[in-house]
Amino acid sequence: MRERSFVQSFAQHSLGRIGLAGIVVMLLFGIVGPLLVPYPSGYNDATPLALPSAQNWLGTDALGLNLFDQIVWGARTSLFISVTAVLVASGIGIPLGLVSGFLGGRMGGLIDSVIEIAMTIPTLPLMILISAIAGPSVSTVAVVIGVFSWPTLARIVRNSTLKLASLPYIEAAVILGIPRRTIMFKHILINAAGPALVDLTIIMATAVLTEAGLSYLGLGDPNAWSWGGILQTAFKGGQHFHAWWLIVFPSLAIMFFVISFNLLGLGINETLNPKRE
Amino acid sequence: MSGATCTGQRPKAPSTMFQFITLRILKGALTFLAAITVTFLIVRLMPGDPTTAFISDSMSPQDVAALNTLLGLDRSLFEQYVLFIRNLAHLEMGQSFFFKEPVGAIIVPRLGWTLLLIGTSLFITLLIGIPLGVYTARHKGQWVDQTVSTLIVLGISIFIPLLAFLLVYLFSLTLGWTPVGGAMTPGIDDSEKLADIARHMILPTITLVIVNLAQIVLYTRTSMLDVLKEDYIRTARAKGVSDQGVTWGHALRNAMIPTVTVTGLMLGKLVAGAVLTETVFSWPGLGSMIYEAVQKQDFPLLQGAFIVLAFSVILMTLVTDLVVAWLDPRIKLHGGTTQ
Repeated sequence: MRERSFVQSFAQHSLGRIGLAGIVVMLLFGIVGPLLVPYPSGYNDATPLALPSAQNWLGTDALGLNLFDQIVWGARTSLFISVTAVLVASGIGIPLGLVSGFLGGRMGGLIDSVIEIAMTIPTLPLMILISAIAGPSVSTVAVVIGVFSWPTLARIVRNSTLKLASLPYIEAAVILGIPRRTIMFKHILINAAGPALVDLTIIMATAVLTEAGLSYLGLGDPNAWSWGGILQTAFKGGQHFHAWWLIVFPSLAIMFFVISFNLLGLGINETLNPKRE
Repeated sequence: MSGATCTGQRPKAPSTMFQFITLRILKGALTFLAAITVTFLIVRLMPGDPTTAFISDSMSPQDVAALNTLLGLDRSLFEQYVLFIRNLAHLEMGQSFFFKEPVGAIIVPRLGWTLLLIGTSLFITLLIGIPLGVYTARHKGQWVDQTVSTLIVLGISIFIPLLAFLLVYLFSLTLGWTPVGGAMTPGIDDSEKLADIARHMILPTITLVIVNLAQIVLYTRTSMLDVLKEDYIRTARAKGVSDQGVTWGHALRNAMIPTVTVTGLMLGKLVAGAVLTETVFSWPGLGSMIYEAVQKQDFPLLQGAFIVLAFSVILMTLVTDLVVAWLDPRIKLHGGTTQ
């Protein structure tokens, strides 16, 4: 009997499929959307704080700007931030996890202690401090979120590496004299990729939640539309209880993004570790 | 494990436990040192003039001179670091830009409110989450599995301000059951104070419980499923211990180990959740102070808030580690080196 490929097995997982579909929608919104929808700026002739209607699908804000346009442009910001955060977190977490798990010994133990310390420190107050001092900008927030997202990734890659490093094919590679860097980044990484991939989807999701939280607290970039920023403007202007659409729609966009990536992670995880009775 | 090794190791138990506690305290101290060192370096090495983080335009020349002596901003980085640690040991964290008061004096009363909120939420989360985890472990099957994993995805995907707004909208504005925000009705009689605070706490607590419940259920459930497969559980059943007795008496203690461990790891997330929750409910803790400090660009206050929150989380993590040690006899006997 032929073994099913990863893609075939994943396709059987309904929640994973829903997540993937959600991500495709999000990508369309974030990449194609801003090409079709005008950038909301300045004041508008439309009625301020108008209810959702045929003309303004999701209503307008206090300046009369269309909320739908803001959410489309916010999708672009969220995508940029989560992709940057994942790249930064991978750049730190994957090498540290590989080195710590493969070399072991003192060096490995030291890196593991650093991972543990980084996991204990409460990161949100620290991110707030850094973003406040650095000044609001989308790229700062993206990098800051990435810099604080690597510890779980490093821990996961380390644990997989520890398991893989004792397998015969790695021992054989060492005996053959293949450089350690090649073994780590080629032979081990490809087999540790599964669990790491699951964590990357979680980092994508968490990055968007964190960015929304930071913008909601007032640390967002005033020159870029972001879902958390829409909430902050409504909250600061005291419109949050009567203009419910200014709270509900951006929040739903955030949760749609986050749930899609978390479902994708769940799908990948259950495809890699199927529950067998 | 054979009987001989057991008797051989038992007399050593107090010393290994002592060793374990000492090591954990050292680790906690090291973590705190790392946290404050990171803060120190970030504030000083950020592009731009580091003095902007401590000195605002509204300060008088005397204040600026006093701060310069206190922080040594004109001296070398190493001297500044020594001063920074020495000041911190005296709970001296600089002067708030906005309140014009020492940071410590502003933070300490607010920390109590935050810890009250976090402590209550954690207690209720465990109170609901552990029995629920045990229940779902005992009733496993396709349907329960699917529901649990879906709920967990929803749980970790919640955007706290939305949940908080919905709760206020429903229970405070529509039904009028709970106060909209704050922690106390102004001018309330002393005899009704506790009940009043409790009423104000309901919605913020519900918010934090909903956000954290899923993880506790997940970990209790997974470890319960593992433990129920163990030989000693089969032995207990064979001895005729009732189903309830096996679950609550024999299995739960061991199944709790991962749950307590994950509780320790959740503390940072709980603090982050509290910051956002407090903001929506105007709960007078560190979270809403952080919000105000962000609006006012009050950097010393933000730095102080981080240091105090980091200290609290590290201390609470230490406590959960000790609870794990108490639950896990292997740590008691071998000082953490499992085998």
